[in-house]
Amino acid sequence: MKQSVQNIMVIDLDRCIGCMACQVACKLENEVALGADRIRVLTIGPTGTYPDLQMYFLPVMCQQCEEPPCVAVCPTGASYRRTEAGDIQIDRDICIGCQSCYRACPYALNIFNNELRIMDKCDQCAHLQKIGEKPACVKNCPGRAMFFGDANDPDSDVSRILCETDPAHVHTLPDSGNRPMTRYILRKSDWVEIMPQEVPEPVNRRRQR
Amino acid sequence: MQEQAAKMKDMLDPATVDDLELVLSGPESFAPLTESDAGADDEVQKINTCCRACISNCGVIAHVRNGRVIKLEGNPEDRMSKGAMCAKGLAGIQALYHPNRNKYPMQRVGERGENKWKRISWEEAIDIIARKLMETREKYGAETVFCSTGGGGNPEIWSIARFCNIFGTPNWFEPGCAQCYLPRVLATAMMYGGDDSSIADSNALEIYFPEDTEMQSLVLWGTDPSYSCTASGGAAVVDLRAKGVKTVVIDPRLTPDAAKADVWLPVRPGSDVALMLTWIRYILDNRLYDADFVLRWTNLPYLVNTETNMLLRAETSNDPASPDTFMVLDARTGSPRPLPYPWDDNLDPVLDGGCHIDGIEYKTGYRLLKERVEPYTLEKGAELCWLEPDRIEKGIRMFTDNQPGGLALGVATDQTPNSVQAAMAANIIDLLMGNVERPGALMQRFRKSGVFDMPNYPVPIAAGRLPDEQLKKRLGGIEHKGLHIWYAGHATSIFDAVLTGEPYKPRIWIDRSGNKMGAIADSHKVKRVIDELDFIVHMYMYPTSFSAYADILLPTTEWLETDMMVETCNTLCARQAVTHLWETMDETEIWSRLAKRCGELGHEACRLAFDAEYMGKDLPYWESVTELWDHFLSRIDLTWEQLKQNTPYEYMSKDEWKTYYVYQQTDPQTNLPVGFNTPSKKIELYLESMITLGRTGLPFSACELEPATRDYDPLPYFLEPSESPLAGSELVRSFPLVMTNGRVPLYHHTTLRNVPWMRELYPVPELLIHPTDAEKYAVEHGDWVWIESLRGKIRALASLTQGIMPGVVFMERFWNPETLDSKTRGWQEMNVNVLTKADAPFNDVVGTYTLRGILVKVYKADGPPEGIWQKPEDFRVWLPEPADPTKEVRL
Repeated sequence: MKQSVQNIMVIDLDRCIGCMACQVACKLENEVALGADRIRVLTIGPTGTYPDLQMYFLPVMCQQCEEPPCVAVCPTGASYRRTEAGDIQIDRDICIGCQSCYRACPYALNIFNNELRIMDKCDQCAHLQKIGEKPACVKNCPGRAMFFGDANDPDSDVSRILCETDPAHVHTLPDSGNRPMTRYILRKSDWVEIMPQEVPEPVNRRRQR
Repeated sequence: MQEQAAKMKDMLDPATVDDLELVLSGPESFAPLTESDAGADDEVQKINTCCRACISNCGVIAHVRNGRVIKLEGNPEDRMSKGAMCAKGLAGIQALYHPNRNKYPMQRVGERGENKWKRISWEEAIDIIARKLMETREKYGAETVFCSTGGGGNPEIWSIARFCNIFGTPNWFEPGCAQCYLPRVLATAMMYGGDDSSIADSNALEIYFPEDTEMQSLVLWGTDPSYSCTASGGAAVVDLRAKGVKTVVIDPRLTPDAAKADVWLPVRPGSDVALMLTWIRYILDNRLYDADFVLRWTNLPYLVNTETNMLLRAETSNDPASPDTFMVLDARTGSPRPLPYPWDDNLDPVLDGGCHIDGIEYKTGYRLLKERVEPYTLEKGAELCWLEPDRIEKGIRMFTDNQPGGLALGVATDQTPNSVQAAMAANIIDLLMGNVERPGALMQRFRKSGVFDMPNYPVPIAAGRLPDEQLKKRLGGIEHKGLHIWYAGHATSIFDAVLTGEPYKPRIWIDRSGNKMGAIADSHKVKRVIDELDFIVHMYMYPTSFSAYADILLPTTEWLETDMMVETCNTLCARQAVTHLWETMDETEIWSRLAKRCGELGHEACRLAFDAEYMGKDLPYWESVTELWDHFLSRIDLTWEQLKQNTPYEYMSKDEWKTYYVYQQTDPQTNLPVGFNTPSKKIELYLESMITLGRTGLPFSACELEPATRDYDPLPYFLEPSESPLAGSELVRSFPLVMTNGRVPLYHHTTLRNVPWMRELYPVPELLIHPTDAEKYAVEHGDWVWIESLRGKIRALASLTQGIMPGVVFMERFWNPETLDSKTRGWQEMNVNVLTKADAPFNDVVGTYTLRGILVKVYKADGPPEGIWQKPEDFRVWLPEPADPTKEVRL
């Protein structure tokens, strides 16, 4: 179904410096529990052989799929698409925390909120959108790498940057029919086709999950 | 209450539960806010302030409801951070409301190091310290008191130096100083006289205006703004790259900036100066420098006496507005001629030449520089620095082919005994290209507000109040005279004096900032020093390893509780207290109270330090910092209250502020160009004033001092690390890897290891090691390993990566607040400074010891150190415990 408003994120990876401020901004804004993240910054690489190396950073969060498996599998209807924004939300009042959406998400980006015993994920800071603000991560990004807006509005930030960018430099996470909406721009390194959950965690964090 | 009590007991282990009740219930003088004080119910106030989670000052909007800080966000009006904050700043609430804040002054009960405390009043605390200071001064002399500060966590540097000057001790130090920033400040002040090119120290202001800079290339040498100053300099470099500015990154670690660079030159730690000399030789050989600028505006054409190493003067000037007149070799006549400042069109000065006058050989500064860099061919540089010659050439060309540009030198080279020479050589590279005060250059003298007399922190240092006979007792102050630019002593000389009693034995240590057990080289030696001392005071926001060995603990304010003036580009900003918790006090006030009590106990200089007339421009001590900021702000007809309401305050338009080519402006007194802020008014690439500094201490020392053992060299030289991995080294057989350290974006110095949001992202340090080395030493990805140097051993998690130079290992500095109440006191598990080297060789000019480029061995460990926390839920006990603000702390 084509939405009239389709809010998406576009992330310019040439501008992402892997500082993890988006992770902390999200925690501060959304009170995400310790050990859980709605957004994570992955390090892709280094690839190549010393000293000819490539490395870039990949912030991942709910990809707001056009064909969202999480909505399809949700037994209670808690996962749903908002018509006014085109984004995928979880209704906390009816979520039973069964984790079906976690298992259905091809990128494992739905998380279990251990405190509330329900599912959690990036909601593009719906509460901030209501007061006309952008998601916390976008607003705060030091590298000014993150863009948010209506993909169907040709004047939005996201449409403008996508329009200015050579399509060969615009990527999505691997698509298995779910049609992720988040766009990644990468001009100066070679895009690595990888599922977020397959990217190795840093050794000092990998025992955590 | 009991749960809270138990938690506090974990960290502070107060002597009895009765004391605890007192701690948690609060005394009579601790007045809680009433409903009406807290402001309209539930209304969120948004207050503009500035962060201080590191030494940047990013603009912040603090959301405060009912007196409690509930949210932080970046202020888009900030000229440098432009609305962003880094992870450290965003965690400010967790630092502010940390359950283990130092809440009240505490006095040790039980033995020193037992970490047992009782609460005392501020009045008692100040009295105890002042009496101890007075007694020690009486018995052993004021110089046996030493103080230390540092950059970690809301620092205010100059108050400590001011107190020392007034109390009469020449001995304060920082773990940074000679190891951080001072080498660059000193070299730049002497060679140029304007701002240095350090991005992390909020200089290099050209980079914050990507829309109008003419910059074509940027060299990031031993600096990674993406990590060290993410929201300001890190973001600015992103903008520059996006605009097409070419970047060259010199760093043994593939940092984010290195990964995004046009050329990455991974350099062997400690060999940077060899690489710089290689760059200089290449630039000279290939005549890539700005010949006109070098001839007219540097001192390289001036003749140098090869016997004395001093410049040949035709005339010395007694007028400070006019420089001495120097001799050049005139090509037209083939003879030495005086070159009147700034230039004489009738002369044709030779750049590369020499002559004999009265049997003495003279050479131009250029020729001496050329001879100095002669051995450093691309091949030689490659061999010394573990690089390929063409890669070096590519890096140089990326810079020289894309001008104007700038070279930003970071802290890396400050942390080796070759520190000052690195700063000199880096400046030579940039200045040979003419990159000073032109659009696109980093070295600039943009205008200032005029409200600061001192750099960065406004507190007047009152340097002239220290009697000359006391200044002469500054430990390390004769050998390392560059330290006098910051009026500082030499850390190792102070520690050696404690341990040997020579030339006298320091007895009292008052410290503010950070965890000195984690911040000073050779931590085990620091502990031996502590064991020798009579009395130790620590003032900080929360307990650290160092606190455990103190006699008195003083609670200081977090940045969200601090009032401080800040200058950011063409604006003045207020870091303003948005709340105030417990009995914490701003350290700028603590030192004033200490001076006051010393005065009351009979210290004449401390008593007079409160007399406005007597103190003059040094200003009297203050009751509150507001008085002080009002005084300075009155210069531009502002009050502190007004600045708080209107921050950031644009004191000048951007165009007026961003002034290029200051040196070409006409001096109304002489009708000549004002030139640079150096004795010759030229850029002094041949740094003659190093010789004068070494012989006399001038111009930085308040009085003339005995000469250092050896003259300081006016040109940069390469010093191979004393723990060398090169052929012929004995040590490399048992310690085969070169170790370096540096930043991750979640911590600043020793701060924030107790903050859950930071620790869950970086719970324990990684040791970056190249797979070829890992294989050699039987280490696998994710193994716990020991890292051992001649001085000790620590553990870390091995991370195998191509992103580190083979033969080199990298590790972030660390300490573990979770083991503070164990026998390790949190500093012995993973603290890089257990390994580093505090003894000679030192940098001749400033006494730098070796923090980077030490030799280590790495081998598999059985597991992690006992008691350390790694899982996110482990840090739950450190989650914020919000508290209502204190209305007033009475002394």
